Amino acid sequence: MESIFTPYMLFNFALIAITAPFLAFIFSLIFKRFAAVIGIASIGLSFISSLILFIGVWKKPVLHFSFDWIQLANFKINLGFLLNDLTVIMLLLISFIALLVHIYSVEYMRKDDLKYRYFAYLSLFCFAMLGVVLADNLFLVYIFWELVGFASYLLIGFWFKKEKAVLANKKAFIMNRIGDVGFLIGLMILLTQFHTLDIDVLFGQGNLIASSFVKNDIWATPFGLMPAYWLSIAGFCFFAGAIAKSAQFPLHTWLPDAMEGPTAVSSLIHAATMVAAGVFLLLRIAPLFNQLVLTSMAAIGLFTAFMAASIAVTQTDIKKVLAFSTISQLGFMILAVGVQDNAAAIFHLVTHAFFKCLLFLAAGMVIHQLHHLKEKYQENFDDQSLEVMGGLRKLMPITFIVFVAASIALAGLPFTSGYLSKDAILVSVFEWADERGGIYWVFPLLVSITSWLTTFYIFRVVFKAFFGEFRLPQILGKTAEELKITDPNRWMTIPVIILALFCFALFFAYNPFNLESSWIYGSWNNHPHHTGMYPILVPIYINVLSFALIFMAYQAYAKNTFAFNNQASWYYKLSLNQWYFNSFYDVFLIKILMLKTKAFYWFDQKIIDGFIHLLSNIIIIISKITSWFDHYIIDGLVNGSAWLVSRLGIWLRGMHSGKLQHYFIWMLLIFLSFFIYKLII
Amino acid sequence: MIPLQHFLFVGATLFSLGLFAVITRKNAIQILMGIELMINASILNMAAFGKYDKVDNTGQIFGLFIIVLAAAAVAVALVIIMNLYKRAKSIDPNQTNTLRG
Amino acid sequence: MGLLSILIFLPLVFGMFILLMPKALNHYFKYLTVGVSLVQLLIASWLYFNFKTGDGFTGVNQLAQYQWVEKLDWIRLDVGSFGTLQIDYLLGVDGFSIGLVWLSALVMLIASLSSWEIKSNLKGYFALFLLLDTAIIGVFCSLDLFLFYIFYELMLLPLYFLIGMWGGVRREYAAIKFFLYTLFGSIFMLLVIAGLYLSVTDPETGNHTFNLVHAMNPANYSAGSIFSALDNIQILGFSARAIGFIIVFIAFAIKVPVFPFHTWLPDAHVEAPTPISIILAGILLKVGGYGIIRIAYGIFPDIAISLSWWMGLLGVISIIYGAMNALAQTDLKRLIAYSSVSHMGFVLLGIASLTSEGINGAMMQMISHGFLSVMLFFIVGVIYNRVHDRDIYNFRGLANQMPVFTGFVMIAFFASLGLPGFSAFIAEAFSLIGAFSSQSLNGLLPRWMAVVAAIGILLGAGYFLWTLQRMFFGTLRLKKEEWKAQLVDLNFREKLVLFPLAALALVLGIMPSLVFNVMSSSINQFILLFK
Repeated sequence: MESIFTPYMLFNFALIAITAPFLAFIFSLIFKRFAAVIGIASIGLSFISSLILFIGVWKKPVLHFSFDWIQLANFKINLGFLLNDLTVIMLLLISFIALLVHIYSVEYMRKDDLKYRYFAYLSLFCFAMLGVVLADNLFLVYIFWELVGFASYLLIGFWFKKEKAVLANKKAFIMNRIGDVGFLIGLMILLTQFHTLDIDVLFGQGNLIASSFVKNDIWATPFGLMPAYWLSIAGFCFFAGAIAKSAQFPLHTWLPDAMEGPTAVSSLIHAATMVAAGVFLLLRIAPLFNQLVLTSMAAIGLFTAFMAASIAVTQTDIKKVLAFSTISQLGFMILAVGVQDNAAAIFHLVTHAFFKCLLFLAAGMVIHQLHHLKEKYQENFDDQSLEVMGGLRKLMPITFIVFVAASIALAGLPFTSGYLSKDAILVSVFEWADERGGIYWVFPLLVSITSWLTTFYIFRVVFKAFFGEFRLPQILGKTAEELKITDPNRWMTIPVIILALFCFALFFAYNPFNLESSWIYGSWNNHPHHTGMYPILVPIYINVLSFALIFMAYQAYAKNTFAFNNQASWYYKLSLNQWYFNSFYDVFLIKILMLKTKAFYWFDQKIIDGFIHLLSNIIIIISKITSWFDHYIIDGLVNGSAWLVSRLGIWLRGMHSGKLQHYFIWMLLIFLSFFIYKLII
Repeated sequence: MIPLQHFLFVGATLFSLGLFAVITRKNAIQILMGIELMINASILNMAAFGKYDKVDNTGQIFGLFIIVLAAAAVAVALVIIMNLYKRAKSIDPNQTNTLRG
Repeated sequence: MGLLSILIFLPLVFGMFILLMPKALNHYFKYLTVGVSLVQLLIASWLYFNFKTGDGFTGVNQLAQYQWVEKLDWIRLDVGSFGTLQIDYLLGVDGFSIGLVWLSALVMLIASLSSWEIKSNLKGYFALFLLLDTAIIGVFCSLDLFLFYIFYELMLLPLYFLIGMWGGVRREYAAIKFFLYTLFGSIFMLLVIAGLYLSVTDPETGNHTFNLVHAMNPANYSAGSIFSALDNIQILGFSARAIGFIIVFIAFAIKVPVFPFHTWLPDAHVEAPTPISIILAGILLKVGGYGIIRIAYGIFPDIAISLSWWMGLLGVISIIYGAMNALAQTDLKRLIAYSSVSHMGFVLLGIASLTSEGINGAMMQMISHGFLSVMLFFIVGVIYNRVHDRDIYNFRGLANQMPVFTGFVMIAFFASLGLPGFSAFIAEAFSLIGAFSSQSLNGLLPRWMAVVAAIGILLGAGYFLWTLQRMFFGTLRLKKEEWKAQLVDLNFREKLVLFPLAALALVLGIMPSLVFNVMSSSINQFILLFK
């Protein structure tokens, strides 16, 4: 089918989509009063352009625009856009969610003095994120990748007076930097082997990766040879980048801390878009990975998913629960990439973006309203703690409804988007394990447990926050009438209602039980393998137990008919303390690093500089010795001979007594001695 | 004939006596006399050795020269001694040390 | 009188002029200096934009392809059987030097603008300052080793007094340390220069010559001379050329500074007054890098190849070592001084790779670090001038008190830690890419060096962000109450300095070809020396 748009028009739309947020960033800083308007208008423009690009590119041949940027002797780097299915679906997703978050933020940040900065940073983020998606070569991806991290740094630390916030943004940036170093090394490997970083050339149709091969432990490409292990290293390096960005074990600890930023930011950046960039990157360069890397990927994804879900079960901070939930869900996506079901990964990325963003925004509404109470009464309580909430179902009905909609999607109950996408991953994992057998059955086992944990923790939040009695009045010792809270105004409610609609399967598939009918999944899944018993059995057995767990959570947290009293057990503590990763890193990495830096400084001061000082001291001592030598020996010789001569003269002077007869005697003696001398000779 | 050795013995004795006088006497005149003795000893030797030169008689001629010179020298020396006496009121050479360097 | 001569001697003339002016005009000296620097920058910019590139203008070992060449017979001395002593007044620029000349002019302008803090003995200060200016530009322009050496040593003298008289508490120690360190290197270099003089003959006149460009051509070495590549003369069992290379390398490595010759730098930087720190970090370190490329590598390419592994190793150690030391500092200025060691390590690594990417990256890093370090030291100066303290733990939450300043600090810090979009990123990425691809292209550096060096980027993020968090964020807390009144935000002059630097970092980060285009043909020619 011929597109109604020419490639040139599409190029211009892509240019608009990415430059609009950048201009908004600059103009927001200049025209501070109109920052919000500028931000919304620009991202709206991006959204419209993305929509057009989606129509023009989806399921059509890849478009690639490229312009010279840097040209050196044996390689060059271009600036350009790569428009394919993956690009446009991500573009649409990012610009759409960013638009909603922008609108939501108007109300959320209304009282902040520096909100122009907030909108400027948000626009910068959108620019960078769209750049990651649109970039046509990995060098450019890296550039935007770091800029995304930078924007995230700015936004996490937006309230820079909060100690915790600035600690968190430092941690986030540095942990991301660890991944970036990996990414950079990966770039160097690819550049050396292929002399180009162009994604289309490397991974597209008839790509360079396919033309390279490993033989006799040598990785051969059209441009060079390397030992074969560099292929695995390259894979692991890019994966390291994804691990950091997508907050996977072992670099996941920055994401829960990043919740110190404004909630709208957490929802856009740390739930829906930026953290998904890691998965996106893996999808972009998927052909690079060999089996070793893929299996490690699956293992890390699985472990992260399980670990984060187990932590989320006990957290009392609502945003922390959602943060660990994000980590867990990203683990699912990485797992999907690892088991080579890319379609499931991208599908889950999209559905997750909607419901996780919604969860954060809805939580943000609760926090926002509680925060008002806090300011109004000048009370000091944690407005993010689940312990102060409860019974909000009646007070904030819209919030309640959208939160539940997102929760069932997260839990993967039938008729929701999560049901389709998560089950796609589960089925793939089952089939993947079935092919391999043996120890690989750990994967389906753990992944099932993780999805039950997911159901449990999210419904724990639902029941704790929205059912039962509102606990805050008791804590503050006030009546419920005084502490009246309601749903916030339309700036906040409309975006969340729109997002809530996307939690349902209908937007993604006409048959809510048939994965293959999903347009996103179907378009990637070029080898439909879900034909055995797994596609039917897996959803059933997951969901049956899920319903049981929901019922249990309802009894425990809404009705309070029973309580879990295992607070002293080791697994409860492990979960509550987030598996002690932070303490471990603080003690074993940061402390040791700081000790090392001290040691280096000591070495610099005492050894190197000490050596210099020693050298100068030695020279000073030598010079003292030569000075002594000069004074006493050289000068002494000269002075001594002069002294000798003068003493001799004084002695000889004694002969001249002035007495005539003495002279005669001397004369006689001299003559005599002369004669004696002559006689002896 | 008197052998040469006799002359030389007498000359050496005379010279030694003169030298002794020069070194030991406390009177400038006596020292002068000692000098004269030594000069005469040398004249004696000159005359004695003159026998080996019978053609030119250089020994005798030198003896005559020395006599004349000695007479002149004595004259000068006596004047010096007189001047010395004028200055130092003494002719004891031990009393004067103006020659001292 | 060519443009280069004007560029070099303009400051000297005005320096003399300042000496002759009466003391009553004290206040006008700084304006005069700024004016001279500005004129110099304008001339340098004109040169930069009229610099021709392409195959006919590569420079390096082609004397005819240098631009704005000035050649005068300077000293001609008939020394009997040794022929004629030939020293030329020979100036010229190619792709390697033009960028640094421009950078020097810029840094001198910034330094003169930050000389407002100098309060005592203005006449002496500005006269020495302008003398230093002459020497610096002269070093980058001279193509005769003798002339080069004169300018090179001429830099030391004013610096010694500028640090020793207008510096901080331990200024005498720092000044003498700096002076002796540098002199130690250059004295031995003089021997090598003498050796080169005896080895190289001018193909036109047949005389022995100090000409730097002729020394790059092996055909100009007379047979049996000490540095002749063909004869491979031995001194104490070592190749004479190897010894020559090592001596020259150490002389410049002290300037760069490369581990383990770097300990003068933290002391000198910390004790020097702000403008002198700016000059030290902005240009003096680049003289080292420039010398390594032009003299050590240019004249001894055969040795450079065989010792590349060691050069790369020193580069990597400097990167990691400097960064680790920076992490341990509590004095902001010392932290930045050590970060310079780390950043200049990339220069050495890039040069050692002997790939086009690596050398381009190294040159870019020199220019980029040139104005970023200037920015960083100026930032320290801003705080230090206000409260005379720069201990990181005495400040907290400065962002509340000085928002504009904090904005510039963030730009400077993020640009320095290699955030994409700023020049340092391009520079560091290219140096690393060069180092990594070296094994495949010419087999000089092993791949692990680039991998280890990449960790330096991570540590860089560590110390800069940590500083940002400790000093600028959080709630305002200062050591003394009265500081609150003293720590006012930037004034117009300070903004005037910082803004162009920040803009430059950004422009070169987005359009690195502004620099690459000027250098690339020279760099390609340079690489041919090693084939």
